[in-house]
Amino acid sequence: MEPTTSDADAVSEARPGVSASAGLPKALPELDKRAQDAATKSAIFSLVDVCVAYGGVPAVEDATLDLLQNEITAFIGPSGCGKSTLIRCLNRMNDLIPSASVSGKVLFYDQDLYAGDVDPVEVRKRIGMVFQKPNPFPKSIFENIAFGPKVLGMKGNMGEIVERALTRAALWDEVKDRLKTNAFGMSGGQQQRLCIARTLAVDPDVILMDEPCSALDPISTGAIEELMLDLKAKYSIVIVTHNMQQAARVSDRTAFFNVDKVQDGKRVGKLVEFDRTEKIFTAPSDQRTEQYVTGKFG
Amino acid sequence: MSPDSGRQHFQQALAELEDSALGGLDLVLEQLDRVLEALERQDVELAQLVIADDDRLDGRYLEVHQGILSLLALQAPVAGDLRLVAALLHVIKHVERMGDQCVNVAKLIPLSGHEPPVQSEILDRLVQMGQFARAEVVQCKRSFAERNVPMAEDLLARDRDINRLNREIFRLAIEAGDDVDVREWAMIMTLVARAFERVGDNAVDIGEQTAFVVTGLFREFSDASHVAAT
Repeated sequence: MEPTTSDADAVSEARPGVSASAGLPKALPELDKRAQDAATKSAIFSLVDVCVAYGGVPAVEDATLDLLQNEITAFIGPSGCGKSTLIRCLNRMNDLIPSASVSGKVLFYDQDLYAGDVDPVEVRKRIGMVFQKPNPFPKSIFENIAFGPKVLGMKGNMGEIVERALTRAALWDEVKDRLKTNAFGMSGGQQQRLCIARTLAVDPDVILMDEPCSALDPISTGAIEELMLDLKAKYSIVIVTHNMQQAARVSDRTAFFNVDKVQDGKRVGKLVEFDRTEKIFTAPSDQRTEQYVTGKFG
Repeated sequence: MSPDSGRQHFQQALAELEDSALGGLDLVLEQLDRVLEALERQDVELAQLVIADDDRLDGRYLEVHQGILSLLALQAPVAGDLRLVAALLHVIKHVERMGDQCVNVAKLIPLSGHEPPVQSEILDRLVQMGQFARAEVVQCKRSFAERNVPMAEDLLARDRDINRLNREIFRLAIEAGDDVDVREWAMIMTLVARAFERVGDNAVDIGEQTAFVVTGLFREFSDASHVAAT
């Protein structure tokens, strides 16, 4: 079954149990408006038939979706559905795994991210990543932030660059008096926000987050989620999360991936449905999405 | 990956909540039957019983309302489950309103006096209205329980019969003659007709909730503010 990547179309689609002659439901004005917003927003990533394989065994297949600018897109789905694999494609992290191969098109601002002349370092500068576990360098808070800009030879006052990054990550007030202390002395939530600040310091377009809150307590999780909502005014964010409520709280659009069993017992991830988050969590189009978000499997 | 696996306690709690809300419609049927009998027989005591028993419906409303709040707070339902919970909130409100309409009729019965000047052409139509309303309540319950949208949509056609009788009763009341007692009785009967007509509307509203649960889109089966000729 093809993934559902509908917007306004799905709203007017006939559904089981409703005869066409009964008069199809009209879309609510609010929903129409949002669909129009989506049509006017530009895609920062366009994925076309993306397949990722490890050692020739596909992990995720046929992913086709557009990720929009200044939006938070959430990838959800059960373990092994390929959501982390796919997000790692978006800044070529899979390049670091020798057995990994990527086919299909990953377009970043309409440019092929995997073209031969694209510099992976530039890719990872423009497309930052935050991981599941906070991973600050064993250095001071200041040096953690200044490291990327220094390596990239960024011009300007380093103190200002560090302050700006920490401020954007809503961490400045908490750490401004102890910039020289080791980052390992921070709490887990602060360390994760430091990692976000470190990403922001090199002025990216996109922040990829692979389960950024799964190692954090609810208060720190709340702080990160608030931060994401602030950051989307300036950046585009893609988040992989196991926490469906988190996807519902923070994201504008949600992509649901599922594990398809294929021949020979091999399992491969497939995009099932991609739509506005509100739609996914109130009236998903695909029965498999419905079952997953309502906790009936997965 | 079986649809039956996972969150079974939640699914059971949700199913119980639905049973409780739809069970409220059975209480409405009891009230409708008794108030119709009281109307036909001018039985003031039976009417009093209907008024007293409205507490059961109000109790059911509070019980389901609290159950819905708890489920929202504790289980965070989404998708089809969320639509069902939202729809049940409407259903139980309509159930409570239907109960109130039965009380309205019951309160009108003593006003028409000990031996009212009954005009059978009005009373017969009222009884028929009540029976139509009863049939609509049965149908709205079944359509919701079975998630049957065509059956829910058919309620609108059923409701037109009630509306037609309501208009006829109104006309007959206007033409009831010069006798003050007859005119007073007829006026009271237009209020009874109005109550049954509202019960029918509530049943149609529950039908709309059935369509919402199934399709995910809310739409009115008929648009009262832009009425087409019926």
